[in-house]
Amino acid sequence: MFIINFFTILLGKIISGLLHLFGKNAGNLPGLVLWTLNKNCLKAFKIDCPIIAVTGTNGKTSVTNFIAKMFKGTGAKIITNPEGNNLDTGITSLLLNHCNFRGRVKADYLILETDESHVPVVYSKLKLQTLVVLNFFRDQLDRNGEVETLILKVNKFCETFEGNLILNGDDPNVARLGLANPNNPNVKYFSVEKYKFATDTLHEAGEGRFCPRCGKELKYEYYQYSHIGRFSCPGCGYGKISPYVRFTDIDLADHSFTADGEKYITADSTIYYMYNLCAVYSVAKLYGIDKKIIRKTFKGFRVNNGRMETFEYKGSKLMLNLAKNPVGANMTVRMINECEGEKEMLFVLNDNLADGYDVSWIWDINFSVFNNVTRVVTSGRRAYDIAVRIKCSGYDADKIVVRPDLDDAVKELFSTTGRKFAVANYTAVQPTRAALKRFTEGESSK
Amino acid sequence: MKDTLRVLHMYPNMLDLYGDSGNMELLSYRLKMRGYGFIRDQYTIGDGEKTDFSSYDLIYLGGGADFEQQLLADDLNSCKDKLLHAYKSGVFLLMICGGYQLMGQYYKDSNGQKIPGLGLFDYYTVASTDKRKRCIGNIVIETEIEGEKYKVIGFENHGGMTDNVSTPFGKVIFGNGNKFGSETEGYTEKNVIATYLHGPLLSKNPVLADHILSYCLSRKQGSAVSLEPLDDGLENRCRSVMLKRLLQTKK
Ligand SMILES: [Zn+2]
Repeated sequence: MFIINFFTILLGKIISGLLHLFGKNAGNLPGLVLWTLNKNCLKAFKIDCPIIAVTGTNGKTSVTNFIAKMFKGTGAKIITNPEGNNLDTGITSLLLNHCNFRGRVKADYLILETDESHVPVVYSKLKLQTLVVLNFFRDQLDRNGEVETLILKVNKFCETFEGNLILNGDDPNVARLGLANPNNPNVKYFSVEKYKFATDTLHEAGEGRFCPRCGKELKYEYYQYSHIGRFSCPGCGYGKISPYVRFTDIDLADHSFTADGEKYITADSTIYYMYNLCAVYSVAKLYGIDKKIIRKTFKGFRVNNGRMETFEYKGSKLMLNLAKNPVGANMTVRMINECEGEKEMLFVLNDNLADGYDVSWIWDINFSVFNNVTRVVTSGRRAYDIAVRIKCSGYDADKIVVRPDLDDAVKELFSTTGRKFAVANYTAVQPTRAALKRFTEGESSK
Repeated sequence: MKDTLRVLHMYPNMLDLYGDSGNMELLSYRLKMRGYGFIRDQYTIGDGEKTDFSSYDLIYLGGGADFEQQLLADDLNSCKDKLLHAYKSGVFLLMICGGYQLMGQYYKDSNGQKIPGLGLFDYYTVASTDKRKRCIGNIVIETEIEGEKYKVIGFENHGGMTDNVSTPFGKVIFGNGNKFGSETEGYTEKNVIATYLHGPLLSKNPVLADHILSYCLSRKQGSAVSLEPLDDGLENRCRSVMLKRLLQTKK
C-alpha cells in the first residue's frame, strides 16, 4: 500500500510539474489523471488537520471564502479550493499542490467547497470533521427532478457520519439530514428569524413541499424566500428544531443582525446573504473563534466573483449578481425590489453547455413583483427569451430593450443615470463583468 | 363584458418541471391583453370528489419526475370517468411530458416500474432503464394550425419513449420527438395537444397559444371567435433567432 501511495503522489507531482513547465495552469488535470489511474488516490494523502466541507446548491463559494478568511484571521494556515475546483478531481489537484512527496499535507485547517454529489465519494476517503449544508434547490443543470436523488446520496453519507453536521434548519430538504444518523450527537441547526419581507404563501418556485418522513404536505408559518422558512409537518411533527445559532433582528437597511445577544454589521444585506453568514457564524462558534475576528470579517470582507459586485459610472451605481438558477434570480429580484427608489435592470442570459441548454427555468422567476423598475435591458445568447419572459409577467413591453451584444447592452444601460442592477447566469457573468469593466474604466479615462 | 376562461391546472405542486407552469401565465397574459378573464383552479390529490371536470374550458397537466408521477397515479385513475366525460364533451386537454405519458395506456419508468395510464389514448411509454439515456435538447417540429403549417419550438427532456401514436402533434425537423431519432412528436386531436415540448411550450409559439384560446372561447360561445392580434414582436424575434440557429446547424 505504501508503495502504491508513494507512486500515486509522485506521479501526480510529475504531471503537475510538467504542466507548470509548459506554463499551463494545472487546474483539474493532475487530479483527473490520478482518479483515472487510482480510484483510491485520495487515500494516498496524509492529512492530520481538521477538514471542514461546505456544500449545498447556492452559496458554497461565498461561505467557503468567509470561513477561510475567518480562520486566516486567527493566524491559522488554511488550504482552501478556488471556485470551480469542488469536485473529487479538483480537490485531488488541490491536495497535490499542497503536499510533500510523502503525501503529507501541512495546514491547520482544510476548508473545502464540495459539490453536493461529490460529498460521499470524497469524504469516504478523507476524514471529515465538519460538514456544512446550506440548501438544496433545483439547479438548472439538474432539472430531471433528481434533486431528491442528490439529497438521498448525501443522506446516505450522513447515516454513518459522526462528525459535526451544521444544517440549515429552515430548509426542509437540509434539516432532514439531521435525522439520518440518530446516534450522531453533533447535529446542529442554524436558523434566521422572520424578516421584513417574509411572506405567508410560497412566493417563488421551491422544492421540498412534502414531509420527508411521512409524505404529508408541510405547513409553513412564513416563507423567507423560495421554500426556506419556518416549516413543520402536521402529520409527524418534523421541523421542530432548537437552533444552535439563530440570527434575529435582521435589519436590511442597517445591514445588521443579532447573534447570541450581540449586534453585527455586514457589507451586504439580503436574506440570502444572512443565511450564508448564519452558516459561517455557526462554524465560527463551533471552533471558538474570537468574536472580534468574526465582527471584523462580517464587516469588511466581500467575495468578488460576480456575486454582489459593484461598479460605478459617473455617479451611477451598479450591482452585479450571478443567478444560475431561479432561486438565485428570485433573490436578486427581491433585492432590487427592496432597494428604495427607481432603478434599472440588465439581465444577461446564456445557454452554453455550462448553463444547461434549457432556459425554461427563467419562467420560475417571479417578475410580477417588480417594484419601481423603470427599464430592463436584456442581453446574451437568449436575450429575447428573457425579454419575452419579463413581458409576459405583465411588465410594460415598451420598457424592455433587447441588446444581444454585451457591449451594446452595457452602453444602453448607462445611457441613463441612476441606480442599476445586473443579473447574469453562469457563463454570462464573467463576460458581463468584463464588459462592465471595459465600459466604466474605458469611458471614464477618456 | 367578455368571457372568462376557466382552467383546471392538475397537480401544479407535483407536475411543475421546467417552468411548465409558465404556460398558465402565458394563457392568462394573452387573454388579459384582450380583455378576457382567466381563472385557474388548482387540483391537488384528493380533490376528485368535489371537482366538476366537464365545467372547465381547459384541463392542463405539466411534466413531473418519476417519483411524483407514481405518487399521483392512483388519484388520477380515480378521476378517470370524469376526465373521460370532459374530454368527450370537448374540453381542451393540454398535456406536457409527464402529463402526456399519464394519459396513455401505461408508463414504465426508469426503474422498470409500470404505472398504469388513464387509457384515454392508445399510445404507451417505456423509459430506458439507463437513467442517462434521455432525449435532451432544443426541438423544432412542424404542425398544422387551422390549415397552415407552423413551426413549434421547444425543449425536450425525457427518458420515456412513446409508441403507438396514431395522430402525432407534429413532424420533427430538429431534435428527437416521441423516441430517439423519431420522425413524429406528441399526440393531437381536435381538442387535445399532448407533447414533450417544454420551454414552456406556449412561450415560443404564440400562434399555437392563440389557437388553443380561440378553440376554448368559440366552444364556450357557440360561435367562432376571432382574437384580435397582439404585438408579438419580441416572441417573433425570439423565434427567428432560434430557428436560424437550430435549422442552420443541422445542415
Ligand atoms: Zn411528517
